[in-house]
Amino acid sequence: MTLSTAGRRARTAALAVGLALLAAGTAWGQDDHFPFGPFRMYATADDPNGRVLSTYLQAVDEDGAVVPRVGEREIGLRRAEYEGQLSRVVERPEVLGELAAVFSRRHPDRPRWVEVSVVQTAHVLVDGVPTDERTEVLATWTAP
Amino acid sequence: MSRWLFAPVALARIAWLRTLLYLFVPLDVLVTTPWVAAHDTAPASLYSPLLVGRLLEHPAPATWWVHLVQVLLLAVAVAAASGRAPRLLGVAVFGLYFEWMLIAMSYGKVDHDRFAFLVALAVLPTVGAAWHRDRTPSEAAGFAVRCVTLAVVATYVLSVAAKHRFGGGLPNWLESAVFVRAVLRRATPVGDLLLDVPWLLQVAQYGLVAMELAAPVLLVLTGRRLYLALTAYLLFHLGTYAAIAIVFLPHLVCFAAFLPLERLLGERQATSEDAAPGRAAAGSEQAGVPPGSR
Repeated sequence: MTLSTAGRRARTAALAVGLALLAAGTAWGQDDHFPFGPFRMYATADDPNGRVLSTYLQAVDEDGAVVPRVGEREIGLRRAEYEGQLSRVVERPEVLGELAAVFSRRHPDRPRWVEVSVVQTAHVLVDGVPTDERTEVLATWTAP
Repeated sequence: MSRWLFAPVALARIAWLRTLLYLFVPLDVLVTTPWVAAHDTAPASLYSPLLVGRLLEHPAPATWWVHLVQVLLLAVAVAAASGRAPRLLGVAVFGLYFEWMLIAMSYGKVDHDRFAFLVALAVLPTVGAAWHRDRTPSEAAGFAVRCVTLAVVATYVLSVAAKHRFGGGLPNWLESAVFVRAVLRRATPVGDLLLDVPWLLQVAQYGLVAMELAAPVLLVLTGRRLYLALTAYLLFHLGTYAAIAIVFLPHLVCFAAFLPLERLLGERQATSEDAAPGRAAAGSEQAGVPPGSR
């Protein structure tokens, strides 16, 4: 089965537009331009003598138990998601309280969270080998 | 160029791709990326819409909306996998899956594992009726297959461009500790072993770029060489999964477009007695044409 001239033209034009958007996204775009943004998975260059930051939420429930690494199982958000909006969370710790409410909504049978903190671990690299690691608390929300 | 773009492919390949890709949707939604559905309780304060979402004035997805899109997407994808009403159902799957992606990617993290899959969902409806035993060569099928294979290859090649752009030049990226960072942040048993041999991770960075730049050969190779090359790329993705528990499943499903799926079943006449009712028009250009009306 052959295509009509119009069918070929429409397909070729659509492909050209798609390729142009993809090229522009790769050259100048950001993740914001999904699905034509740059394929930037692991595209950053980390200094072999620098620090690797790893941020996560840590919660304490009303029984005093610590939930060390909060993720999608607890609040339906991946670590990379709240990490990608870190400034938003650190500047407004009440967002952490909203996340505690989300946990209770998703897990009504489990003890409520009374404290949620943003914890950041910095792994210190020397010639690409992790040596020391330091952890600091960036923000904390406590249940009123 | 035009001849290459529209090189005819048997309609059966489109039929198989529809079955495979549309049935992958429920697997994706329910099993391999369940975190998208988990955005049903995400707080609006963390909603960070993409450009497309802002242009559409897409509000923060409400719980009921996420559930509605999920149910519709699952139902329509399964219906589309049957091969019936391929244009209508295909367009509906694309629209719903795209909305699913807006729900997925609008909370601060955008994934890059499904560009080819989105392209496949976009082009599958551009081919009309297609059945699994129909070996009729079709230019529309050829174009659709070419778009998917181009998208797979572009994902690799353009990610090298991104490394150059975001890594302060490709040489700088190659000499960086990006894989150490990847493994540190996503610890797995294999990854922990790799941390003790940083030079191996460094070599892997060179290997990755070589592999990504070589991806266009997938558009040229045929037969056994093509299968070997595809296997090599598959092994790379499995190795990545072992080290950092990330696998580009929707991308990998699109590898099927490279394969002669039309050979899976023997050819049979379109009017074969075991063609289901309503499928009697298989092989004709339009679905729903009653037998004998042409």
